[in-house]
Amino acid sequence: MAEIKIESRKTLSYDNAVQKLKRRLFKTFIILFLSLVSLLVLYPLIYAVSAAFSPGRSISATSIVPFGNGVTTEHFVRLFSETNYLLWFRNTLLIAVGTSVSTVFVCSLAAYVFSRFRFVFKKTMMLALLVLQIFPSFIGMIAIYVILLRIKGLDSLWGMVLIYLAGNIPYNTWLVKSYIDSIPRAFDEAARIDGASHARTFFSVILPQASPIITFLSIVSFTGPWMEFIFSKLILRSNENQTLALGLFSFVTDKKNEYTLFCAGALIVAIPFVIFFVITQKILVTSLAGAGVKE
Amino acid sequence: MLTISRDGSSRRKILLSSVLFMGLAHLLFLKQYIKGAVFALTEIVVLALSPMIVRAIAGIITLGAPKPDLPIFERDNSMFMLIDGITVLTVVFIFFLLYYISIKSALFAYKEFCLFGTFSDNRKILSEIGSKAFPIAGLSPAVLLILFLVLVPLIFSAGVAFTNYSSPANIPPNNTVDWVGLDNFKAMFGGNEAWTGALGRVAAWTLVWAAAATFTCYAGGMFMAVIMHDTKMKIAPVYRSFFILPYAVPAVVSMLVWQNMLNGSFGTVNRTLIALGWMTKDTVIPWLSDATLAKFVCVLINLWAGFPYFMLLTMGSMTAISKETYEAARIDGASRFQIFRSITLPSVLYQTMPLIIMSFTHNINNFGAIFFLTGGNPVVADSVTTSAKGTDILVTWIYNLTINLQKYNYAAVLAVCIFVVLAPFAIFNFRRTRSFKEGEL
Repeated sequence: MAEIKIESRKTLSYDNAVQKLKRRLFKTFIILFLSLVSLLVLYPLIYAVSAAFSPGRSISATSIVPFGNGVTTEHFVRLFSETNYLLWFRNTLLIAVGTSVSTVFVCSLAAYVFSRFRFVFKKTMMLALLVLQIFPSFIGMIAIYVILLRIKGLDSLWGMVLIYLAGNIPYNTWLVKSYIDSIPRAFDEAARIDGASHARTFFSVILPQASPIITFLSIVSFTGPWMEFIFSKLILRSNENQTLALGLFSFVTDKKNEYTLFCAGALIVAIPFVIFFVITQKILVTSLAGAGVKE
Repeated sequence: MLTISRDGSSRRKILLSSVLFMGLAHLLFLKQYIKGAVFALTEIVVLALSPMIVRAIAGIITLGAPKPDLPIFERDNSMFMLIDGITVLTVVFIFFLLYYISIKSALFAYKEFCLFGTFSDNRKILSEIGSKAFPIAGLSPAVLLILFLVLVPLIFSAGVAFTNYSSPANIPPNNTVDWVGLDNFKAMFGGNEAWTGALGRVAAWTLVWAAAATFTCYAGGMFMAVIMHDTKMKIAPVYRSFFILPYAVPAVVSMLVWQNMLNGSFGTVNRTLIALGWMTKDTVIPWLSDATLAKFVCVLINLWAGFPYFMLLTMGSMTAISKETYEAARIDGASRFQIFRSITLPSVLYQTMPLIIMSFTHNINNFGAIFFLTGGNPVVADSVTTSAKGTDILVTWIYNLTINLQKYNYAAVLAVCIFVVLAPFAIFNFRRTRSFKEGEL
């Protein structure tokens, strides 16, 4: 009896050792793999950061070792002294804030109505929203150009806000509507019984309940305009109305070859974005999954 | 004459009067004066504007006559006429919807009268209007913006596909534009060798691109998510922060950086490879200047930029799978791969299906990934005539046609093509939604 016991314990510990070794090997392998992927992911970003600080203008002047040619801040100085960078930044910020605020207002209201009211043509309208959201809005860009020309919105920041707002209403409304659908009706019915008006119910019951998707929507509609290119190019003509995307793009077109200047300008925009995304990654995970799970 | 009976025999009278003039039945028979007045006023306004409406509709039919002797700004501008016509038609369409609603409302009110024998008094109607005001006010900004800044432009685009709006002979305000029927479609689908060839090439590449881009990003993202989930290491969040960087950096920036890094002669990648001694200056890899290789590079770089989104997505939906399921599988002796194949994959697939389809449609329209990475280059045989280059997809081609060649008519044909390809996907997604299945709508 005793012998057998010892024997089995031995094999057990032997098995354990093998298991442990296997697990450790697996872990090392995974870490190696993840490090390799990280390297690939970071590769262009490191070079872009290094280019922003390296002397010279075009990419051919940069070193193939990051920061290999020394470090300089001349591009940042030039950005603020020789280009209209600050102006572009201000314009883009105004457009982004305008788009974000108006999108949240228009889309959440429409979503609430779609979610809680019954009315004629509701189904047709929902289907229309879904079909419309698959088109990139620049398919109708010539028409939008003419319409803005008619309402004197060409070469204006509010014209841009209007386009960004309208183009994304179908998708955003659908997104928020799905979320509001998942909020129990008991909440708003209770508020209605207590005598709250529809508007009050919406602002003080539904909006707080839907805050995750509202946050998500305001973030997405705020970040979208920062790098939109086609409409800015089409609509914004004058020098004082340029946006960041147009300005940065103009650094690396065929006529100019200011790659390092481009990297410096891009770095200033990208850093707040990156910090923001890294901080909010947890919220992003749940919101993105929410968008998928809800339907 | 102005009385109606309760037994339902006056239904014809109500129907006739409400069809005859908007709101007439409400005013004459149903004693709903406020509602009736609003409806009647709507019709009066539309009737008063009818000369303008007729002119706009005539404009859309003729698209203006060429008047070469007039100064440019007094000539007929076909594009203004087209867009005004479509806008007016949209308004007329809304008017007819209202008309329909008013008839329905009159018949409904009569039905109530038959049931209860009394008219609902105006005070009750006022409170009813009050409760209806909110949904109408809440919906109208969205509906109006969509109608006039999304729908009208789309109809306009579709309309242009049937005109000869193109450089050099038909660009307003100098010249007018005419309807040409299906000529553009004929030229694109078989009539003109260069254009037909380019369309076939670009359409095929667009589909391949969208499928490959969606599949690689989805598979790559899911793979990374599963690995990160499996290891449960303390260091995992650090890696995750690295991996979401491509998602955080705006596409314009990252794609332009890649474009410069992959440049054949002075890009960092090739210069590094030369310095390492793996190739010489004469044997550099033409990453973006060889049509076939450039396509692979597009998909690869898009994987770099796109996998974080799906990684986050998969991680999110994996949290919905209960830990007990995994535990049970492990106790039953399932291997990692078995667990992945029979638990993780089906569950994640099921949850993310609509998003896969959305991602596919997004990639068909993924202007940024192509335009900023390759600019559509390299140039191929028919690029001079058609402006469609080696890696151009339909949307970037539309951009080239509009901005560079001013062939708006052909660009519009492509837009119609995108519609025909994408609409089924949208409807499919719609039919899968919960609210559709549960018959809530």
